[in-house]
Amino acid sequence: MYNLSTVIRFEVIRTLKKKTFWIMALGFPLLIAAIGGIVYFSNQATIEAEKDIEKQKFEFVVTDKSGLINSQIVQSMTGTMSPPDADPSTYIADVKNGTLDGYIFYPEDLQRESIQAYGAHVDIFTDGRYEGVARTLLSASTANAADPNIKAALTGAADISFTAYRDGDEYQAIQQMILPGIFLILFYLLIAFFGNQMLTSSTEEKENRVIEMLLTTIEARTLIVGKILSLIILAFIQCLVVLAPIVVGYILLHERLQLPFVDLSTLPVDWGRIIIGFMIFSASFLLFTGLLFAIGAAVPTAKEANSFFGFVMVMIFGPLYAFTLFISSPDSPIVRVLSLFPFTAPIPLMLRNAIGTINYSEALLSIGILLVTAVIVMYIAVKVFRYGALEYSRRLSIGEIFSRR
Amino acid sequence: MTNTIISIDHFVMEFGSTRVIDNLTFSIKKGETFGLLGSNGSGKTTIIRALLGIYPATSGTLHLDGKAYSVSSGIKLGYLPEERGLYKKEKVIDVMTYFGSLKGMTSASARDWSMDYLQKVDLAQKAHTQIDKLSGGQQQKVQLGVTVMNDPDILILDEPTKGFDPVNRRLLMQIIERHQKKGATVVFVTHQMEEVERLCDRIILLKDGKAAAYGSLSSVKKQYDGKTLDDIFVQIYGGIETEASDV
Repeated sequence: MYNLSTVIRFEVIRTLKKKTFWIMALGFPLLIAAIGGIVYFSNQATIEAEKDIEKQKFEFVVTDKSGLINSQIVQSMTGTMSPPDADPSTYIADVKNGTLDGYIFYPEDLQRESIQAYGAHVDIFTDGRYEGVARTLLSASTANAADPNIKAALTGAADISFTAYRDGDEYQAIQQMILPGIFLILFYLLIAFFGNQMLTSSTEEKENRVIEMLLTTIEARTLIVGKILSLIILAFIQCLVVLAPIVVGYILLHERLQLPFVDLSTLPVDWGRIIIGFMIFSASFLLFTGLLFAIGAAVPTAKEANSFFGFVMVMIFGPLYAFTLFISSPDSPIVRVLSLFPFTAPIPLMLRNAIGTINYSEALLSIGILLVTAVIVMYIAVKVFRYGALEYSRRLSIGEIFSRR
Repeated sequence: MTNTIISIDHFVMEFGSTRVIDNLTFSIKKGETFGLLGSNGSGKTTIIRALLGIYPATSGTLHLDGKAYSVSSGIKLGYLPEERGLYKKEKVIDVMTYFGSLKGMTSASARDWSMDYLQKVDLAQKAHTQIDKLSGGQQQKVQLGVTVMNDPDILILDEPTKGFDPVNRRLLMQIIERHQKKGATVVFVTHQMEEVERLCDRIILLKDGKAAAYGSLSSVKKQYDGKTLDDIFVQIYGGIETEASDV
């Protein structure tokens, strides 16, 4: 592998110098930050608005036919109770002509009829205060009316603690998914961000007509391995650039953004599944890097190579449409086929490994198939690059690839 | 023969059912300037690509300094292909340094050599310019620089004057002459006969993948009654007289 480090250095440095790399790398965390910022400021604004509404005093009248409303609570909230047989239309007319801020009518039968609230329009947020007062009055007035346990049962406030067991051990399904699931996310990000670059990295030399000069100074195999290794290095740099600000942002701001906190120290660590996840990820990444590279090498231009990109993406991410099957019927024929066919296998395998519906023997068989296919695809990629590199204006046919020595 | 640097022996090249080179044998001596001549499609570029291991030969042997060429064979080679180009989106100095490193120079010496060369060809101020921002002529100068980096012992130039403006053509000739003086072997692939007459010691003229004429310039001319190379070329390919009478 003479000159391998020279190729890697050249490819990595020139890509890191490109603005597009940093736009892609920083664009995603900036987008996440922008969305987080919008959520944060929106939450803050809502909280402030709610506080303002609470501070605002307004006059209202309550007519209670249900007999549930406590008049003292009404008075404490600057309201007035009307006689139960008062005519609601009088108060509604007062609200209409602006002499009264609000009017709330509690019907006799709350199961069949709705509580009616009327109010002078202030703005879209403030108008919610009439409904809020109506609910608060009802819940505060009835707070001591029923047994607290019955009330908790009826309002859904009763908490349920669930413990699952698998093979005799306590099993936390969601937490168990997190560490093996990281490989799925990593694979998705790498393909999404770098798939196109993998595809076009072999067309550049051809389009620039520099390939012939290169092939007399470096072995085709070294050039390809160098390019693939540099893509992997760049992919990890990009992942780091994408994920680091997100992780730091999450740790610093998850409370303000009201995001659930995941305590990493409590995460269950299943080394078997983590290692399987890593192996599936590595074999899949190698396979698709080789495949995209070979496609790029077989066509004359990056534009033509791009037309194949959608097809490869469908193969990789299409199985996500069968997501529920992976959970509910992991032994169904379609799940098995998708998991064993190497070009559709990465997502099903990583997903099933994350949710724990794949056993070791099936996982190892699938990894073996993935690895063998990856090696074959790499071999073909080198062959295609070798002979497709000098085809400046036409696509290499499959027959030609295999007929040449 | 001890001073043979390139030997091509019973070389056959087929693409599918088409035989492009048919049992061709010739050799090139160390230090000579050799003209590989022929009309378009006569197989000149195919011979060079097979010699440099870019195409695998159907049969026969093609040796450079006694062995099949590989990039790790230690042969200092400068190759200007017919299809030319460089990394268009990269800076001149970065591309030259890269090729210098691939040819075995250290990054620092490749960079120094490149700056020195760019100075000589009036492109020093363009060292940090992206290649596609250069004019066509300036790009040709950079390409020539990349070809002759690391002081090659063998210079293979495939249609070297193709697309060159007169200034760069003169620069190319100066480079060839400089390398000739240094004792480098120069292989000149062309159908431009006046340059061959000026520079070459020996030639091979290809027709239908076979040698139609082969030997020193003077012996080939003698073989064709002292005609100029241009006339010999026309006679072999049977062009002008027929075409002129048709017009």
